[in-house]
Amino acid sequence: MASEPTPELSPEPSAAEGPAAEPLLRLTNIQAGYGRAALVLRGLSVTVAPSSVVCLVGPNGAGKSTVLKVASGMLKPRSGQVMVDGEDVTGRTPQQLLASGLSHVPQGHSVFPEMTVAENVLLGAYTVRDRSLIAERTEFVTTLFPLVGERWSALAGALSGGQQKQVEFARSLMVRPKVVLLDEPSMGLDPKATAIVFEQVQRMRDAGTAVLLVEQNARRALEAADVGCVLDLGKVHITGPAPDLLADPRLAQLYLGGRPKEVP
Amino acid sequence: MTGALFAQSLVLGVLLGGLYALLAAGLTLYFGVMRVVMIAHSAFLILAAYLAWYFHETSGLDPLLSLVITVPLFFVVGYGMQRFLVSRLRPISLTTMSVLLTFAIALTIEGLLGFVWTGTQRRVQLGYSGTSIEVAGVSIAVVKLIAFALAAISLGALFVILRKTSFGRALRATTQHPEAARLVGIDTDRVAGLGFGLGLATAAIGGTALALDYTIYPSLHWHWIGPLMAIIVVGGLGSIPGAAIAALLLGVAASLLQVPLGTTWAQTVFYLALFVTLMIRPQGFFGGRLAQRF
Repeated sequence: MASEPTPELSPEPSAAEGPAAEPLLRLTNIQAGYGRAALVLRGLSVTVAPSSVVCLVGPNGAGKSTVLKVASGMLKPRSGQVMVDGEDVTGRTPQQLLASGLSHVPQGHSVFPEMTVAENVLLGAYTVRDRSLIAERTEFVTTLFPLVGERWSALAGALSGGQQKQVEFARSLMVRPKVVLLDEPSMGLDPKATAIVFEQVQRMRDAGTAVLLVEQNARRALEAADVGCVLDLGKVHITGPAPDLLADPRLAQLYLGGRPKEVP
Repeated sequence: MTGALFAQSLVLGVLLGGLYALLAAGLTLYFGVMRVVMIAHSAFLILAAYLAWYFHETSGLDPLLSLVITVPLFFVVGYGMQRFLVSRLRPISLTTMSVLLTFAIALTIEGLLGFVWTGTQRRVQLGYSGTSIEVAGVSIAVVKLIAFALAAISLGALFVILRKTSFGRALRATTQHPEAARLVGIDTDRVAGLGFGLGLATAAIGGTALALDYTIYPSLHWHWIGPLMAIIVVGGLGSIPGAAIAALLLGVAASLLQVPLGTTWAQTVFYLALFVTLMIRPQGFFGGRLAQRF
């Protein structure tokens, strides 16, 4: 793990400048599907700039989760290219992609329920051998998510859904990824827990990790995102700054359920 | 039942329960890491007992020394079995198909044992076979004590491996959430293979312990697999502490019931416990959330 950058423990306020030019993650013209079934992604392209939250929204079956699976190596694309920080990583395994700087938090509950919070978080650093690095990052994630430190010795399965999400976030940050992939982090959470989750997505970004987010809860997710992409039938149809998408009346009709947000 | 008889049965029950605990731990491990129902577990147990007996017959050395060969051998066989046979089953029907696959393996082992060593009953005769020690009016056969000690040490070692090592954490993570385990960088295929090897190693140790104290014959494994299956369901599928606790409790219960009911009927306590568990608490009594997912 010698090639890893030194972890930044202080938040980077660069988000204010908006997305930078060179993307950290670039999916180009991806075609992908499961088994012999029809393609789910049909020439999809998406980019994630440093210190930004990019949100994919779209109807059920549009291929939102599949995008994340291709990016993290869980699913090999049939064609197209995955680039991380200028390096071609197409076809690599999840384990190799962790080393390249991609971390994936899957849909639903994904803590190891019969292990403690501590064991869960430390397993996030399973591929990291350097003990001082692990200690440093443990410090970092418990500062970013104080709850994780407070419930350090509790069984993860005993926490509430929202608390489990925080443990999952902390676990995913233990490799100090360049980009975190979040698959429907608000699924199954009550509105209060959802608000906390989206606030923490922004905290992750402010601490220097770019986020690619997939959400069913489109309006709420776009409010937390910098860039929005609307997916339909395996392609990105519209990309733009998240506030613009929220204000677009056509989008509101089609995907966000109801009238556009009032823009003051 | 007199007090002395009760104490005697209780001690025998604990000693037997220890052996059950070790074997059930292996069985629940396969299910945990792979969702595999391993019918052949007890066939490998008998195979190890035969190897211990044969080792003793040919070399004249203590059958316990055969562990040096059988434990690594079974570990490698278990790893290979998972990687080259079980992992080829389609994930969608893995659990049901694994019953057929391991049933076939059990029959093959039984057939081979009969072919090589015939159906004659075999028994290891040792200098200390008939020796027993007396503690507070309870007489305990030395071979049973050795078997229990072997089981206890192995269970302890298994516990330490699972709790304290990086491999153990990876294995528990794979059991509890395979997808998340892959996403933190665990090679879950390899871990499942090693977990299988570990499970089969418990059969090697259990078989050697068995050989010290039991008359063995090729079809003896059918006598073991039923109670073991019942134990891991009662304990909660995939839960090793659950399996160990259930094994001790049911071992003691079976041993105590032998006095009023006789051996055959006492054995039904395992199935009775199985039915009761499935009726009122199908996820098992001592941990193990896996069953809820079925």
